[in-house]
Amino acid sequence: MNLTFYNDEATWLHRLDPRTKIGGVLLIFAICLCFNHPLFIALILTGVLAIFTTAKSMKVLWKLRFLLVLLFVFSVVLWPFFIKGKTVLFQWHGLEVSSESLLYGFAMGLRLMTFVRAGLLLLATTKNEEIANGLIRLGIPYPVAFALATAIRLAPTFADAGATIVQAQVSRGLDLDSKNIFIRFKRFTPLSIPIFISAMRYTNFLAMALESKGFRPDTPRTSYYEARITGRDWLAMGVLTLTFAACLYLRLSLHWGIIIPGRL
Amino acid sequence: MQHALLMWKNTRMIVLTSVCAAIYAATLIAFKTVVPIIPGVTEVRVAGVFPMTFGFLFGPAGAWGLAIGNVIGDIFGGTLSPASIAGFIGNFLMGYLPYTLWSTLIPVANGTYAWDAKSVRSWLTYIVIAFISGAAAGVVIGAFADAIGMVPYAIISKIITINNFIGSLIGIMLLIAVFDVTKNQLRLFWPEVMDVSVANTAMKASLGAWLVAAGCILGVFGGFVPGLSWTAVSWPATCLIMGGSLLL
Repeated sequence: MNLTFYNDEATWLHRLDPRTKIGGVLLIFAICLCFNHPLFIALILTGVLAIFTTAKSMKVLWKLRFLLVLLFVFSVVLWPFFIKGKTVLFQWHGLEVSSESLLYGFAMGLRLMTFVRAGLLLLATTKNEEIANGLIRLGIPYPVAFALATAIRLAPTFADAGATIVQAQVSRGLDLDSKNIFIRFKRFTPLSIPIFISAMRYTNFLAMALESKGFRPDTPRTSYYEARITGRDWLAMGVLTLTFAACLYLRLSLHWGIIIPGRL
Repeated sequence: MQHALLMWKNTRMIVLTSVCAAIYAATLIAFKTVVPIIPGVTEVRVAGVFPMTFGFLFGPAGAWGLAIGNVIGDIFGGTLSPASIAGFIGNFLMGYLPYTLWSTLIPVANGTYAWDAKSVRSWLTYIVIAFISGAAAGVVIGAFADAIGMVPYAIISKIITINNFIGSLIGIMLLIAVFDVTKNQLRLFWPEVMDVSVANTAMKASLGAWLVAAGCILGVFGGFVPGLSWTAVSWPATCLIMGGSLLL
């Protein structure tokens, strides 16, 4: 099981400090929340795609193309029925769709795609251990970051153990190809028991191994990987912060980029 | 909440957190795209069989494990977004409420922290808490997802609640199967690992438990009251759930 979207390239984005990339993605999320007009969000999405191109990571997006299309379609179809607008296009049994709510649905579809793409931007250009290191340096307590990093390391192990158990049971006649989702759901539970028990045995071994090596959750630690903030990081954060400030100004002072007032 | 913070000083609990997170994440990722309900937001969660068992057996380690596991599921499922923050809180509650409500939701619970498969009271407590913890996650995640424009609260809160509740009901088989092994053979039952007493009969805790329950009922059913919109009930319900959880 390959648990990573990391795309090994030597671009400016890959060389940024993980803290900059985590902060940058949060700023892109915040920028997206400034507007609910599709045109404005489409511009932000174009910006994110441009960064993707310079990071040579478009193939990561291609892997998730179906999910991205579904996200967009679902949002466009769903939102118009839950938002009220002035220009009513049609009414049917209490359901109402207006041109504003249609545009809002379109904007939310674009926003959702931008969110997911911004998250993928971080994952495509940052290794798992760099993300954990970045979180520690951002002030997340070491035991929490350790738990996260260990869980990322263990998840493929347990997934492989699960696959082995499933194959063993299927070879004994277990039918997991039934079309009915509820039956598949129910059949998973007996399979989860050996996965659970083998994982719990692992807990005791790992805890003993850590304690025998002097692991103490509350002591300061050093790391082989020491990321450094450089001028490039300050420049990237500066540009994004200025963009965010400009977007806030456009929304709050000039009231631009709003289809439905009172909503993010 | 005290135990949820103290556990980070205990190596075995930290490892339990990692293991719970890894199992949950592996199951979430494996089944993420099998049957999506709202693509990128929620799906039929086969991993829903774990939260009640993790919460009851491993207490705070189970709660943090579910929260971290959900974030890992989002990261490697390709759906990392601001809703992942709400997902972290919601999934934490799905593990936190089972062990905190088990002894505080009086008179549904009887004030002791024990599971007996032959006791009707244990089953009733399990079912009520399964609903509350599933609904708490649904309300909190729903309110946030609606606010940032991801999915309307009226839809997402119910889908998550039902999804979690069904998963937890099926998950009772898992608890029955692994309770004795985990407690008596592996010695990983969390009050023994942390060497603490769990029974909490303080008025404050009981009040917190009922505030959480009230928040869940308001969040799941409040929108049916004429004149109340779903969006209007989402934030008061979230505040009740979060405030009550802090008292537990």
